[in-house]
Amino acid sequence: MELPKSHSAPVVAQRYEIVTHGGVLSTQPPLAIVYLDGSFPKRAAHPIKQVAQKDLAFVPSLLPVQVGTKVEFPNLDDTYHSIFSYSPAKRFDLGRYRPEERPIPSEVFDVPGLVTLRCDIHEHMRGLILVLNTPYFVVTNPDGRFRLSGLPSGRYTLKAWIDSKTTREQPVELKNGVTAHVDFP
Amino acid sequence: MISLSDANQRSITRFRRKLSAAMVLVASATTILALYLTQHNVAVTATRDLQQNFQTELSGLHQVEELRQAALAERCRVLAEKPRIHAALEDNALDLLYPSAKDELRDLMEGDTPVAQQGAGSLHARFYRFLDSSGAVLSPPNSKDVGELSPQAEAQLALKQLLETQQIGYIRENTDAAKETVHEIVAAPIFSTETGNVISALVVGFKPFELSGRGTGAGMKSGIWADNRLYLPSFPKEVRTALDNEIAKAVGNSRSAQNNFVVTINGAPQLLFYRRLNPDSLFPPAYEVCVYSLADSMAQLHRLRWQIGGAGVLLLLGGFVASHFVALRFAIPVQKLALDSQKNRAKRRRADIALVSTRKKLQRSTRYSADASHQLKSPVTVLRAGLEGLLARDDFKPEIYEELSALLHQTHRLTGVIEDLLLLARMDAGHLQLESQPVNLSQLIEEWLDDLGALSDSPYVKIEKKFPPDLYVAGEKHYTSLIVQNLLENARKYNWPDGLIRVNAHKNRNEIVLTVGNTGQPIARHAQSHVFDRFHRGGTATNISGHGLGLNLARELARLHGGDLRLVCSENDWTEFEVRFVSSPPTANGPSQNT
Repeated sequence: MELPKSHSAPVVAQRYEIVTHGGVLSTQPPLAIVYLDGSFPKRAAHPIKQVAQKDLAFVPSLLPVQVGTKVEFPNLDDTYHSIFSYSPAKRFDLGRYRPEERPIPSEVFDVPGLVTLRCDIHEHMRGLILVLNTPYFVVTNPDGRFRLSGLPSGRYTLKAWIDSKTTREQPVELKNGVTAHVDFP
Repeated sequence: MISLSDANQRSITRFRRKLSAAMVLVASATTILALYLTQHNVAVTATRDLQQNFQTELSGLHQVEELRQAALAERCRVLAEKPRIHAALEDNALDLLYPSAKDELRDLMEGDTPVAQQGAGSLHARFYRFLDSSGAVLSPPNSKDVGELSPQAEAQLALKQLLETQQIGYIRENTDAAKETVHEIVAAPIFSTETGNVISALVVGFKPFELSGRGTGAGMKSGIWADNRLYLPSFPKEVRTALDNEIAKAVGNSRSAQNNFVVTINGAPQLLFYRRLNPDSLFPPAYEVCVYSLADSMAQLHRLRWQIGGAGVLLLLGGFVASHFVALRFAIPVQKLALDSQKNRAKRRRADIALVSTRKKLQRSTRYSADASHQLKSPVTVLRAGLEGLLARDDFKPEIYEELSALLHQTHRLTGVIEDLLLLARMDAGHLQLESQPVNLSQLIEEWLDDLGALSDSPYVKIEKKFPPDLYVAGEKHYTSLIVQNLLENARKYNWPDGLIRVNAHKNRNEIVLTVGNTGQPIARHAQSHVFDRFHRGGTATNISGHGLGLNLARELARLHGGDLRLVCSENDWTEFEVRFVSSPPTANGPSQNT
């Protein structure tokens, strides 16, 4: 898939930051989340995901999860963090905690939508969690390529989340044992 | 002794009265002018002092305002950086805005001192509210935390749009029917730390700064005029209502942001200053109003008025007395003048009468001389013709011829006298008109000197002459010639035998001076002053021909020509006359021709 042009030169150990342009949140350099839209049977148990705070940034900065997933927010810095969100999809406030805080503060995301993560202490920190109904999603490579595997066969809509205001979609027909190629222009 | 007439006495009294009135008028005018100037000066000084005081008070207000604005700007900057505020505003969680800001703005609302005792200069707010990005008020979930405000007052906090600068406003709130409060509100923009745009505004309400009136002590009252009404609790309601109209009129008429005018409150004049508190604000205009009692300056004015009035009355009285004396003193010379003029008038009248009589006499005498001369001329001519006829006959004895020729000589002499008299008469009557032209005096003298030598009865006299060849005088040749002839003939007639005649002439500036001197018996000293009188012969021997009119005639003619004739000296056997003529340039055609 084609991603928006990057504004910064690629560097080794790339960090992805959440930036706002005119109230639109996206990652920098750009990343997209491609997911298969539709209703699928809920899983009994979700693997626990993590959004760590490392070097005063969320890692990963953009995380897609399925509804009902528990996300842990481990503090890997040698300072306090106070992670909270006022997003309609999930309001929570973990309060101030240090790296050694146990259990690791966590939240369960049970409403689909975009959740903006902030730190009350470090105002520049931004993180995004995209809560999806589907279990089939993937974050693209920095060059915009993606691969989704183990998908059920059938006719679906494949969606690509580009930023907080832009989601593209393409109809897709999946067959067993066949790799489908979808391009988002 | 001439005494002043009643009319003169009356006019002098009138003059004295007018002089007094004029002086009283001057004294009154001076007093009134002094009163006016002092009054003006007092009023101007009072206004200026109060204006200065007002400005000083306002500068205190501005300091507090600046302090508040700077503090609020900083507060908003810090707020904007708060992730929770950001999150509430950007993540559409406005219900969480107030709870999020509560902690941040806690110190703004909760002072150490109770609200009632807080000074106006403090930064403690009465309330605060947030505006959303469109300028509308975000209602707080719990107004106790953010300061109670009536819905009407809260609605006044909204702005049409958010600006990047702080806006100051004043709103009024009726907490109950009797109590009215004015809040000073400052709307401070909140900038997004990410986009730099204004995403919200924090509106904070303060207690308005109260002017202390330190400058003038008691008597100054200040309030705020907002929403077309005056908030000045120390004035009763009806006074405030009256002032409302006055201020509304003044604010409506004047384009300037500040001004002052005099109002009357409860019968006492007060000076009212006003100044726009929130220029260039989106909130409705509000004015700081200061009312200063003019009682002090009025009392001062009253005192001064009495003092000046008293001084004026004294001045008036003094002026009246002084003017009376001065008028009396001034009247003395006037009285004298009037007396003198009365005397002078009498004298002049007499002189006029005498002049008229003299003129008549002179005219009569002139006419008489002219008539006499004319009447004489004809018989003399007849006589001379008869004598000449007899002389032409040859039948008389020789002694008869001698007698006839002596008689004929006498007729010639008589003719000369008559002609001279006629000429003098014409001159006296002013009938002699001169036709002035350049006359060559040098040539005239030469001719007459030649004639002198040619006379048969002339004894020998030596002649010395010294004059340039071409001296021109302005005159009529005939009369100029008569003058020269008279002088030269006298010089010959009254000379010793073998005597000397000296003729000199020269030019002196614009005059030609001719002197004729001769040896001979001098004129007696007592007769010298009468030498130019008519028929006076200077006491000389009567055997010398002449009739005593020549010198008089010569002098009259010299004067008629703009010159003069005088006796220079007559002593030690030397007599000298000097005649002066007006010099003239030669004619364009060259020297005048001698005829």
